[in-house]
Amino acid sequence: MKRIKIDKNKCMACYNCILACMMEHNEKGKDIYSLDLEDKSNECRNHIEVNHSKENIPIFCRHCDEPECVNTCMSGAMKKNPHTGYVEYDEEKCASCFMCVMSCKYGVLKIDEETKSKIVKCDMCENRETPRCVENCPTRAIYFEEV
Amino acid sequence: MNYVIIGASASGMSFAKELRNLDKNCNITLISRDENVYSRCMLHHIISGHRTLKDINFVEDDFFNKYNITWLKGQTVNDLDVNKKILYTDKRSVKYDKLLIGSGAHAFIPPIKNLRESKSIYALRNIEDALSIKDALETKEKIAILGAGLVGVDVLVSLLEKNKKVSIIDMADRVLPLQLDKRSAKVYERKFIEKGASIYTSAKVEEVILDETNDPKAIKLQGGQIIECDMVIVATGVKPNIGFIREGSMEINRGIVTNDKCETSVENIYAIGDVRGVSPIWPLAMKEGKIAARNMVGGDERITDSFALRNSMNFLGVPTVSIGQVNPPDETYEVLTEEGSEYYKKIVYKDGVIYGVILQGEIDYCGAYIELIRNKIDVSHIKYDPFNIGYGDFFEISENGEYKFKAVV
Ligand SMILES: Cc1cc2nc3c(=O)[nH]c(=O)nc-3n(C[C@H](O)[C@H](O)[C@H](O)COP(=O)(O)OP(=O)(O)OC[C@H]3O[C@@H](n4cnc5c(N)ncnc54)[C@H](O)[C@@H]3O)c2cc1C
Ligand code: SF4
Ligand code: SF4
Repeated sequence: MKRIKIDKNKCMACYNCILACMMEHNEKGKDIYSLDLEDKSNECRNHIEVNHSKENIPIFCRHCDEPECVNTCMSGAMKKNPHTGYVEYDEEKCASCFMCVMSCKYGVLKIDEETKSKIVKCDMCENRETPRCVENCPTRAIYFEEV
Repeated sequence: MNYVIIGASASGMSFAKELRNLDKNCNITLISRDENVYSRCMLHHIISGHRTLKDINFVEDDFFNKYNITWLKGQTVNDLDVNKKILYTDKRSVKYDKLLIGSGAHAFIPPIKNLRESKSIYALRNIEDALSIKDALETKEKIAILGAGLVGVDVLVSLLEKNKKVSIIDMADRVLPLQLDKRSAKVYERKFIEKGASIYTSAKVEEVILDETNDPKAIKLQGGQIIECDMVIVATGVKPNIGFIREGSMEINRGIVTNDKCETSVENIYAIGDVRGVSPIWPLAMKEGKIAARNMVGGDERITDSFALRNSMNFLGVPTVSIGQVNPPDETYEVLTEEGSEYYKKIVYKDGVIYGVILQGEIDYCGAYIELIRNKIDVSHIKYDPFNIGYGDFFEISENGEYKFKAVV
């Protein structure tokens, strides 16, 4: 499978990846003109943490080999796709128990702002060859590679 | 090789899938009293009517076909002969080379006067329980729930939605005593009361008062208080399902005793999940399923995680996460809290190590705490706000691009 690799030292916290993710998942259109930064229904699936040493740390779902979010999910909503290796989320199945939010020890997951009942999670841009965040990163702090 | 599995829930299903992935040719037979596969953690959604049995299936619809597993459903294992390697269900006998016991647990009905004798007493563990509670609600109006742990409160919330008059009773001084402190419990208690619940904490049930036909009329507490009811739901914990094990044939201590490879005291028999009687939570049953499968085909993998003090909940729109020791055992622990109108956060801390966390109202990105608490990772090098510790403070990348926790020196 392919993974979004991370070189934290190159991350400038420019937020191009954040905007890319929001644009890609915006139901009103995928271009910058359709993007409303205050639209709660269109949240970014990844985030940049600033740690205690003031470093920028891109927190992107790893689509782990042994994903704890899947292990912990009591409804079957979180699943690892055996063909692609990606960890997929099915909001129809989800029971909003938030066990996965607590269990992803990398702190990747959050509850959606709008309904407070869904999980905001990276889907590796289902219909794209390369995730849009990767395409948009100007410094190659995130890059896409076979692992 | 003939593998036999007892149980079609978290542990049995997780084991079966992993085993088939590891060994394409073995014979796998799964026996379960359950006639359907469903998530027990979601049974209260059946009571409330939000979900159907089909909606709470947690595996693929064609699971048994897809993984080529023979499923003897609706059969109860009554006897196990570990010497002859045969087990007996109520319908037939089944031989095995290797056996996985994932028979889980059943609801424990405490020895309270008249409780076991009474009609209209329910517990919630199986789909049949959920359906019969749902049926009973057609005629019952005043329901008493014994036990305000997670299952009791799950039931409470589903009954409040049905506009029933519900009383919940617990010996502890608050609801969800294992997961919450007084402050965070209060938030839920207020909401439950607003929705019409009556909450009796620090209350000990003395007896169930029955009418002439043995239907419950009321609950009598120690001290004499009377709580009227026409139905009782018991949520006072679980006991492992080990009735089919012959006395002396296997080491038992509350549940089936295993080592950290999931092996029981009998060769070629493994046990996982709630039947072990140690940490009865879903994620551990799932994880042990994988570990047991790998070991059964010759691997050597250990249970490294038996940390069961972790729960998330989401009642009436308020999410809460509770990890570790959330109520400090003595004064040597420091307690840090932070609160606003919509949130409450608490950290129990000692000598650079976080022992427990409650996060209520705001839980986004909180996962790092689980690792820090489980592994007692020293966080004293992080001099700033302990409420803002995140994975970024321990960031390190593995060869294959996964994250790992940087060792703190
Ligand atoms: C209402 C409710 C809410 C819950 N919420 C949570 C939660 O939020 N978080 C959490 O971590 N956990 C929760 N749990 C606990 C969780 O459901 C269990 O930890 C989990 O189901 C354990 O799985 P298991 O496979 O070990 O056993 P079980 O789920 O008990 O399954 C046992 C299986 O064995 C079968 N079986 C038993 N005896 C026999 C026999 N003699 N012969 C044949 N078959 C047999 C049964 O039919 C069943 O298929 C909840 C439980 C309930 C009831
Ligand atoms: S959400 Fe967390 S645990 Fe799940 S796959 Fe992504 S990084 Fe792994
Ligand atoms: S919130 Fe949904 S996806 Fe997450 S563990 Fe619960 S049921 Fe699974």
